[in-house]
Amino acid sequence: MEISDLITPESVVTGLNATSKKQMLQELAHKAAKITRLHERNIFDVLLERERLGTTGVGKGIAIPHGKMAELDRLHGIFARLDTPVDFDSVDDQPVDLVFLLLAPETAGADHLKALARISRLLRDSKMCEKLRSLDKPQDIYRLLADSAKSQAA
Amino acid sequence: MDIANQLILVGAGLVALSVVVGLVSSRFGAPLLLVFLVLGMLAGEEGPGGIDFDDFHAAYLVGSIALAIILFDGGLRTSTRDLRRAIAPAGLLATVGVVVTAGITGAGAKWLLGTTWLEGLLVGSIVASTDAAAVFLLLHSRGMRLKDRPRSTLEIEAGLNDPMAVFLTVSCVGLLTAVEIGPGADDVGALATRFAVQALGGSGIGVAAGFMLLWLTNRLNVASGLYPVFAVAMALLIFSGAQEVGASGFLAAYLAGIVFGSRRHRATQIINRFHDGLAWLSQITLFLMLGLLVTPSALLPNILPALGVALVLIFVGRPVAGLLCLLPFRVGRAEIGFVSWVGLRGAVPIYLGTIPVLAGLENARLFFDVVYVVVIVSLVVQGWSIAAAARRFGMTLPPRPQTPPRLDIDMPAEVGRDISVYTVQPSSLALRRTLGRMPLPPGTDVVSVYRDGEMRSPGGLDRLAPGDHVLLMAKVDQLPVLDRLFGRKPPASHGLDAALLGEFVFPGETTTGAIADMYEFRVPARCRDLPVRAFLRGNLIGVPRPGRRIRLDAVELVVREVAEGEIVSVAIELEPDERSLHRLDPALVWLRALLWDPVRERTVSATRAAAARWPWVRRDAGSR
Repeated sequence: MEISDLITPESVVTGLNATSKKQMLQELAHKAAKITRLHERNIFDVLLERERLGTTGVGKGIAIPHGKMAELDRLHGIFARLDTPVDFDSVDDQPVDLVFLLLAPETAGADHLKALARISRLLRDSKMCEKLRSLDKPQDIYRLLADSAKSQAA
Repeated sequence: MDIANQLILVGAGLVALSVVVGLVSSRFGAPLLLVFLVLGMLAGEEGPGGIDFDDFHAAYLVGSIALAIILFDGGLRTSTRDLRRAIAPAGLLATVGVVVTAGITGAGAKWLLGTTWLEGLLVGSIVASTDAAAVFLLLHSRGMRLKDRPRSTLEIEAGLNDPMAVFLTVSCVGLLTAVEIGPGADDVGALATRFAVQALGGSGIGVAAGFMLLWLTNRLNVASGLYPVFAVAMALLIFSGAQEVGASGFLAAYLAGIVFGSRRHRATQIINRFHDGLAWLSQITLFLMLGLLVTPSALLPNILPALGVALVLIFVGRPVAGLLCLLPFRVGRAEIGFVSWVGLRGAVPIYLGTIPVLAGLENARLFFDVVYVVVIVSLVVQGWSIAAAARRFGMTLPPRPQTPPRLDIDMPAEVGRDISVYTVQPSSLALRRTLGRMPLPPGTDVVSVYRDGEMRSPGGLDRLAPGDHVLLMAKVDQLPVLDRLFGRKPPASHGLDAALLGEFVFPGETTTGAIADMYEFRVPARCRDLPVRAFLRGNLIGVPRPGRRIRLDAVELVVREVAEGEIVSVAIELEPDERSLHRLDPALVWLRALLWDPVRERTVSATRAAAARWPWVRRDAGSR
């Protein structure tokens, strides 16, 4: 499972604007709806339901909201960066500015777990996050994410 | 008069300088003891200090006092829980482990230094024991929190292994002097007896003296400032008394500390605080003095073989001993690796190194210099890398909130509780809840809150604010819980610590079934509605502790945070280590849910029914 299987250049967003966790999830759902052609409202509900179990703010300004959607045909990812970090109830209480959203079909099973683990491992690399925060153009960010497999063969 | 004054000037100056330099050096992560040692060298005959100190007798005396105090203090800080957890592996390491290390390192020394077998073994024996001073201090460096078992194993090993090393060293010295004088001075029977007296005598005296000290402290009625003075005097008395009858004073002092420290007495707080300072002073003095004692240029001629001996010790002797002694226990590979790596040498070997010098052995200075190099290499290589090794082997836990300022007032022992005053820190957990919903440990009461120069009753306040002084009545063993409650929460955990404890975090009350559905693992139907904390508590063997984990299909649930025995949060590990030993868990989880739980529930409900039928049976019989 590679990051390039999850995202396309279109699914990288910079300068996402939100003032709260809820608004951030709404913005992400809006973006995801465009890519997956599913209902924005359904995506938002799935994400919110997942956050009710426990925060996906994994610390150090990173969040990995995710959820399962029956109507989906494959895994879809979105990477978003915020200019102003937003409070996300993270485990370390730090506001979040890097978000990787993952939506999986109900039937994805092991692939879903592998993808989540892959994303989590990627964003745990502090050098990677530094680069993700410093690059300007979405295309460059996409290339960095998609090429990450080669640079860290773990 | 002039000399006395100069001594005080130089001594006090060096200690004060050590404290300041130590503070600076902790920023670089340099092992503090190494800093003291180097400072001592700089102050010495070949450094800018130019102090010529060559008195091995004085060094032996000061070293004995300092080590006795450090070991007693280490004992005070060793809880009976630590002891129970780690006594078996630590005990094996402290006996068999020392012999194995001494043997392997001795063989290396014989070959590298070109000495006789016996002389090689002497060098091996001197460096065979880990150093209590170094281990107690370096395992508690700021910001590092080790898993409980490896930490207590290393600490208790360091506390217990001196008698074995002393015994081996003294025996080798005895045999060597016998060789010089002529055979027949020592035979095997005498050696065995001497070891038995060292170990058993040391244990017996230590435990008995610990209880006696406890009894005396609770009966003596003196000014509170005198209790710690009494305790120190007694610690030294125990040490020297044991030494005097041929038993191990180190062992006695450590065990007396454990016995004394693990039971409540009227001066717990004041003695602990006093000893904290005293142990620091002992460590600083000890290492400064050992730095002064050595002539750095004298180390140079033998530097290469000495480095070789150090490498043999670090990379062969200690790991082989660690592997041999830990394999019989259910200890993971990572833990064996970590314990084997952190075989810190320090003051004890140098101190033992003075014994052959004092005995007037022919090559004693050579041995001393080699031992010195070994210790420095160990402090640099192992001491500097403890934190990195702990992360590498996955032995660290997420940092706890910093200990907040706390003032303790001893109450009479029969009250069973003490008064503590906390100053509430910004971003502490205590600020997140109202006073009424504060998760205080059992037996803890808020007496009053001091805010803006006024005493408030806790009933009249809704929430605490940063800077409030909170007066509590609490049991001493609950203070760590309160420290976490009122301390500043650490900003973020380090990368690898987080990796150790899974990808996503759930509060303990999250429903197990909801997590299972999200992350594609199955749980028995009767467990689905349980809070995940109850599910884990039921299926983990033993007490829930951070890092305990259970395998469920492709993932693992990991206990992340525990407070007062209750699981606070749980993490999910999406890519568990395939080599881990948790593969058996899924079967046990199902077995338990299908067989054991129904049986237990039926028994409980049958007992309840019986209780209802016969009113003289207590109504709450089955409700637990």
